[in-house]
Amino acid sequence: MRLGKKKRSASNRQRNRAPRVDIQGWYRHHLKCSVESLLGLVRQPISSALTWLVIAIALMLPTLFYIALQAMNAQTQAWQAGGQITLYLDRNATQPAGTELSAMLAQRPEIESTRYISKELAWQSFRKVMSVQSDLELAANPLPASIVVVPNQQQRSDLEALILMLQDLPDVEDIQIDLAWIERLNNALDLARSIVQMLSLILAVAVVLIVGNTIRLAIESRKAEIQIIKLLGATDAFVRRPFLYLGLWYGLLGGLAAWLLICAISLYFQSQLTSFLADYGLTAPAIWLNVSEFIILLSASILVSLLGARIALWRHLKDTDPR
Amino acid sequence: MIQLDQVSKRYDGGFEALSSLSFQIERGEMVFLTGHSGAGKSTLLKLLTAIERPSSGQVRVAGALLAKLNRREIAFYRRKLGVVHQDHLLLMDNSVYDNVSQPLLVAGEHPADIKRRVHAALDKVGLLSREKFKPIQLSGGEQQRVGIARAVVKKPELILADEPTGNLDPALSRDIMALFAQFNDIGTTVIIASHDLGLIARLNYRVLSLHQGKLLDAPFTPSGPQS
Repeated sequence: MRLGKKKRSASNRQRNRAPRVDIQGWYRHHLKCSVESLLGLVRQPISSALTWLVIAIALMLPTLFYIALQAMNAQTQAWQAGGQITLYLDRNATQPAGTELSAMLAQRPEIESTRYISKELAWQSFRKVMSVQSDLELAANPLPASIVVVPNQQQRSDLEALILMLQDLPDVEDIQIDLAWIERLNNALDLARSIVQMLSLILAVAVVLIVGNTIRLAIESRKAEIQIIKLLGATDAFVRRPFLYLGLWYGLLGGLAAWLLICAISLYFQSQLTSFLADYGLTAPAIWLNVSEFIILLSASILVSLLGARIALWRHLKDTDPR
Repeated sequence: MIQLDQVSKRYDGGFEALSSLSFQIERGEMVFLTGHSGAGKSTLLKLLTAIERPSSGQVRVAGALLAKLNRREIAFYRRKLGVVHQDHLLLMDNSVYDNVSQPLLVAGEHPADIKRRVHAALDKVGLLSREKFKPIQLSGGEQQRVGIARAVVKKPELILADEPTGNLDPALSRDIMALFAQFNDIGTTVIIASHDLGLIARLNYRVLSLHQGKLLDAPFTPSGPQS
């Protein structure tokens, strides 16, 4: 009940207090509206299917992009392990000191693993590469011992802190960071993410318009009925109810159809993706929506559809005001 | 019950349907409203049902200033009324029963209650046997009686009827008037807009005559005002 906003005479306020709504009647009307609007959809399968299929396709597009993005994210997280930091140790550092440092670093939480490469090991692998192509022979081993550090951080700031810490280690002479390409990839993914967000927003607006227009047509065909029940004392909520349920069913059906379409597409692509990535020695990530993502898809679909219905109703009910 | 104070209604284009109309109807009164078509009867009923707002002046019904009601309050105000519309305004896709039960559904009444009261109302207008028919299957007079049943089903505080006997033969007209009189006897305020001067003359109620949006002092006659 809305009272007190406008100043009214006391007698007016008292006499026109709206009686309490009978809660059982309210519940019965909800049940009636939900069932009747669903039956209405079922009775016109073709025309209603056109609406919820359009909703489904509009929802499917950003969801597919989202899935692709999630898959790429999972993939780059696996690749993140390839992002290494190489610490070149001081020439005078002994091998036990090097292995000790390596073991110590490996125990830090922000470090995934470390590997100590001794002077000799480096020399051997270097010679293996070089001797094939040239006759270069060196008298002494010029290579330093090194520790390869694989961080497990994704956060840039954490990585930077780690790098600073590693630079300050006493035995470390030089540090080589092999992370730049991951940063570039992350930037690219960030960009893709904001494109998906923008696309979702645009297509959500499209769903609002689609449902709004469908509900507007439904209202138009029942205009006389609305006029009559308003004259019999129906509140706006009472008039709105069947149409909001109609919007809800459209949203639910559209969301479910979108999910089924996505499943079909994922099924089709999963095998292709698996064989494609197998060529690169990679395992394909799962391209499915998990339960919470599925629930988010459905609720977004329903909410956006309800919004569309609500806007159409708002426009119509404004026209029923006394002139 | 009803109080009009200097009420005027001008439509776009300058036509003045009501001009400075003032009158009062007591609670429990039964009043006839007469006048040529275009005299402002329908406009007056539209103001009383809050379908339209006056251009100036105040309409007060049951203590409420209609112009000050918000949408929700208008809905609850209309539940106190039983209105018989000239063009019936029935739900053409629904049965007679559904039509008559509509005011009770809107008010959220209990289904068992609804059935009993709808049957009682249909019985009063002699259409109990037609409850499953669609309005389109009924004659004009029968449709009108469905509208009357719908108006009285909720035992309203105020009955507003616009030409309720327009499509009825004299015998039925008398029955319907008797029905309104019955409601009036139990305290319902009744306003009936009618052309049927013969019928009005036989019944001994106050008559308000409208002519060009003004109230005539002398009762309305078919030849119009003498002045």
